[in-house]
Amino acid sequence: MHPLLSGRVRPILYLAMWAGIGALLGAVMAALSPRPLAHTVAFIAPLSVFYAFACLSAWWVCRANPLAMTPPARVLTVIVSASLQAAALWVALGALYAALLGRFAHIGPERAGIFRDLAVLGIAGIVLYAQSMAGHYFLLSIETARAAERQIFASQVTAREAELRALRAQLNPHFLFNSLNSISALAGSEPEAARRMCQLLGDFLRTSLSLGARESVAFGEELALAERYLAVEQVRFGARLGFEKSVAPDAERCLVPPLLIQPLIENAVKHGVADRVEGGTVRVTAAVRGGALEIAVENPRDPEAPPRRGQGMGLENVKQRLNALDPQHARLDVYREADAFRVRLTLPASGDGAGGAHA
Amino acid sequence: MPEARRIRAVIVDDEAPARALLREYLGAEPDVDLVAECGNGFEALKKIGELEPDLVLLDVQMPKLDGFEVLELLEKRPAVVFVTAYDEYALKAFEVHAADYVLKPIGRERLAEAIRQVRARLAAPVAAVPVASPAALANAARAPGQHLERVLIKDGANVHVIPVELVDWIEAQDDYVGVRAEGKTHLKPQPIAEIAAALDPARFVRIHRSYVLNVDRLARLELYAKDSRIAILKDGKQLPVSRAGYARLKELL
Repeated sequence: MHPLLSGRVRPILYLAMWAGIGALLGAVMAALSPRPLAHTVAFIAPLSVFYAFACLSAWWVCRANPLAMTPPARVLTVIVSASLQAAALWVALGALYAALLGRFAHIGPERAGIFRDLAVLGIAGIVLYAQSMAGHYFLLSIETARAAERQIFASQVTAREAELRALRAQLNPHFLFNSLNSISALAGSEPEAARRMCQLLGDFLRTSLSLGARESVAFGEELALAERYLAVEQVRFGARLGFEKSVAPDAERCLVPPLLIQPLIENAVKHGVADRVEGGTVRVTAAVRGGALEIAVENPRDPEAPPRRGQGMGLENVKQRLNALDPQHARLDVYREADAFRVRLTLPASGDGAGGAHA
Repeated sequence: MPEARRIRAVIVDDEAPARALLREYLGAEPDVDLVAECGNGFEALKKIGELEPDLVLLDVQMPKLDGFEVLELLEKRPAVVFVTAYDEYALKAFEVHAADYVLKPIGRERLAEAIRQVRARLAAPVAAVPVASPAALANAARAPGQHLERVLIKDGANVHVIPVELVDWIEAQDDYVGVRAEGKTHLKPQPIAEIAAALDPARFVRIHRSYVLNVDRLARLELYAKDSRIAILKDGKQLPVSRAGYARLKELL
């Protein structure tokens, strides 16, 4: 559907504009070859209505030769030739109509006057059609820009949804089920410990929700969340779960996307502790080097353990989020050794800790 | 037969609080005697083998061997109640005829109901109790569409865990298969067709009625007679290749 014909207001405005153009043309013709007003109107009004519709055809001509994909010389050729053809058609129709008016209604100027009228039609026809094409190209470019805008918006929505999915998935339901089971166990024998565990779990949930709602968080906050998580898990695993960290103060002040390392910590507990009889120690190290924040999470692993289902999911998600952050400088390296598993994140240092490398 | 027989139970869970909770709940059952608690799959296998309990409360995800792998390796199988935070193993649990499947966090009443199931099962005549075949157990230990990742072999009190990439070839020997890995042959009571079906077909090929070969180990094939070939492995070992085996091998390579 042609954009100028859609709705109610646009066609009326368009025809009103053409009424003005018709009046102007009529005035010019009457000035060149004086005649009664009724004669001028009888001649120019039907021809104006016809050309008003003829000019709409520029829409399809423009669409067939989109500006972005057509060389400028070709655009110019198309405009000139389409305008000439449309004007020629208009002049021919005008000549026929003038002849009919003269023959049957006995109105209209003499032969020289008709030629002057047709000359006006010819010149105006070329100019008006060229104008119409320019106008349509303008309409098309607005439409393209809007579509691009919609697309950008849609992709932003998709990215945000992926982010939210990631955050939701990180609130691992099995962690909750197992924690509740531990609380239930402690409630019978050690009510104080059960209360402490409720508090730890509540702290962890509240913090992860509030961090997750933010655009970026200081790495130190992220680390504090990981420590709350580990405190809960320590109730389940007891002495089997160890934790060590070696984090430079400037690294703690760097900004990172929220809950970025949480899935790595959860993987480390699952594979480094839960899958090993003797348990293990999860190690987190972080430092700022040469403008980049480097974070490593390491855990021992059972060389005989098969790769469990879903192991790659958490890593894949972290990789995607780093990629969305800065595909050039952010990356994830995975080192899978026989008895250890190490993941290293590298991302541009930003925030307060960023200057630390040069200090 | 005494109508109130006592139930000897073993708890298997790698988390101390979870064991404590089960211990507390079992304490309320007058006819249940807790005979052992185990923190991992190896220990469970050993204790269950020694004590031959009537009931095992079994966690699924544990170090070393998971719950299904423990069941696969047991010679004499007690009634099993799975206790786990994961609901996705429920179907597999019933394929191996578990008496019940209880989700964490566990309710006292829910566990009591599981124990009632076990009582009913133990009171029933032996023939009426369904027993899963070792094949069903081995299949249950894997997710659908997943191939065998490690071969478990019980050798007296020990369990050898052999990652499939270390397996060179597998040979049929009567009711057993000989699994050759790192210069040693391990015997496992399983038909060769069954283990061949469980292995990744992109890596293991049944080259002969009696042989399954890890194709990574293949050096070359030699024509031996009309319609029969010999596979020469990288370590020089020679294995027979049947006509059908050659066709399968050709398709893969």
